[in-house]
Amino acid sequence: MKYMILLYGAQRDYDAMAGRPGSANPWTGEDVQKLTEFMGSWWADVVASGEAVDAQGLTAPVHARRVQLKDGVPVVTDGPYAETQEVLAGYNIVDCESFDRACEIAAGLADTPHPAGMELTHEWHVDVRPVAGGAEESLA
Amino acid sequence: MTAATEDLLRALAPRVLGAVVRRYGHFDLAEDAVQEALLAAATTWPDGGLPDNPRGWLVTVASRRLTDLLRAEQARRRREETVARRVLPDEWLAPAADRPPATDDTLVLLFLCCHPALTPAGQIALTLRAVGGLSTAEIARAFLVPEATMTRRITRAKQRIAAGGAVFAAPSPADYAERLGAVLHVLYLVFNEGYASTSGPRLARVELCAEAIRLTRLVHRLLPEDAEVAGLLALMLLTDARRPARTGEDGALVPMDEQDRGRWDAARIAEGVALVTDALPRGPTGPYQVQAAIAALHDEAPSAADTDWPQILALYEVLLRITDTPVVRLNHAVAVAMVRGPRAGLDLLDTLPGRLTDHRPDAVRAHLLEMAGDTAAARTCFLAAARRATNLAQQRYLNDRAARLAPGQ
Repeated sequence: MKYMILLYGAQRDYDAMAGRPGSANPWTGEDVQKLTEFMGSWWADVVASGEAVDAQGLTAPVHARRVQLKDGVPVVTDGPYAETQEVLAGYNIVDCESFDRACEIAAGLADTPHPAGMELTHEWHVDVRPVAGGAEESLA
Repeated sequence: MTAATEDLLRALAPRVLGAVVRRYGHFDLAEDAVQEALLAAATTWPDGGLPDNPRGWLVTVASRRLTDLLRAEQARRRREETVARRVLPDEWLAPAADRPPATDDTLVLLFLCCHPALTPAGQIALTLRAVGGLSTAEIARAFLVPEATMTRRITRAKQRIAAGGAVFAAPSPADYAERLGAVLHVLYLVFNEGYASTSGPRLARVELCAEAIRLTRLVHRLLPEDAEVAGLLALMLLTDARRPARTGEDGALVPMDEQDRGRWDAARIAEGVALVTDALPRGPTGPYQVQAAIAALHDEAPSAADTDWPQILALYEVLLRITDTPVVRLNHAVAVAMVRGPRAGLDLLDTLPGRLTDHRPDAVRAHLLEMAGDTAAARTCFLAAARRATNLAQQRYLNDRAARLAPGQ
């Protein structure tokens, strides 16, 4: 059974990680390196256990475009999110024996390192959702 | 498996596949058969010892495996009754394997893997597997995609080759230059994939650069007279030479003018410079040679301040005449700024067609504005470039440049 682990972040969190001047608690290069290594080794364990299916990170919310109907016509809007709005930041798809196992994998992310004293825009959490049967072929 | 055995297997892979396809045809199944023979060698040779004739051993095992695969395939076809009875193709009566081929098998394989009927992603994957001797899992890891995705990519590429009826032969003289151009472009893309991206597991990425250099070296050995092959190899070596100095200890990008030139790879620079120096007078002058010549001028400068910018500018003007792309124009504008001053460069940027929508035009403008002393505008441009960048290392570099120009400084 496949499960998707969804990770969230706000534009403010992306800015802090990118060291944008003026952002609250900008990360140092060392902070970023620690995070990259942590995420890399967390996923490498999942790859090694044969449960990894796919992993993708999404670029900052400012890059998002929204396509919506306005007066019956599709209209494209750039950057539809507020600075503090929490949006999907990335996902990992795992193929494992149970929902509990998928949550166990996701819980490994709870120790994700971040700079001392840093406050996330929203309290840390990830979501785990089962992938509907038959949908997997279209995901890869 | 020891590194020596692995190197030997990787070197033999394309020659074994070439021999099997030349003899029996069926590129798609032969490719699978050779992969299995390589796997068998990797598991038995370390304990059982190297056979007297490793290549012959691999050809024999792969041929046997291919026969099994063909039998299974034919049985399946008979069962499905889609084909009443498959007549053995002419390739079965192919010339003896010891007849010297007119063109090296490895080169013919490269032409086949980089066939224009394939997508670039398919060309790259197939080249790395069939010519590079990498397993599907290794290629998937290098490109950070799931193995199943890479398997499908390779399978589709092989199906396209089979469906297109591509033959295992060197391209006709009329197509030769274009087909060789496609091969070089694929090798260039593999190198860039390894070099341009600083995300993901760094080791795997470095391996892609090394693999691109290894394969280009191979093509250069087979076509020593071709100036563009030599130019591409030189370009890769001269670019890769700077890699050790390109990232700081914390993984941050270091721009060329701030790199510690003592960490550049002197051996690679010497080899690259020799290659391009030898190739340029032979002509015809192609884009890889010109880019290599530019890289050589950077690599040979003892310091950023000693860079021969007038010569680099002249080469960018040659490059513009051969390939007028937005990226070349952007680099040309930088060279103009370094020779004639930042304002001249900025004026050129204003004439740039708006086809580049990534962070690069803003980043170049920001650097030139900073050179011109317009700190406030430079800062705004660095911040805009950082917003446009999608790679975290680039975002951090551009934000850092903006931070250095904090208002009031």
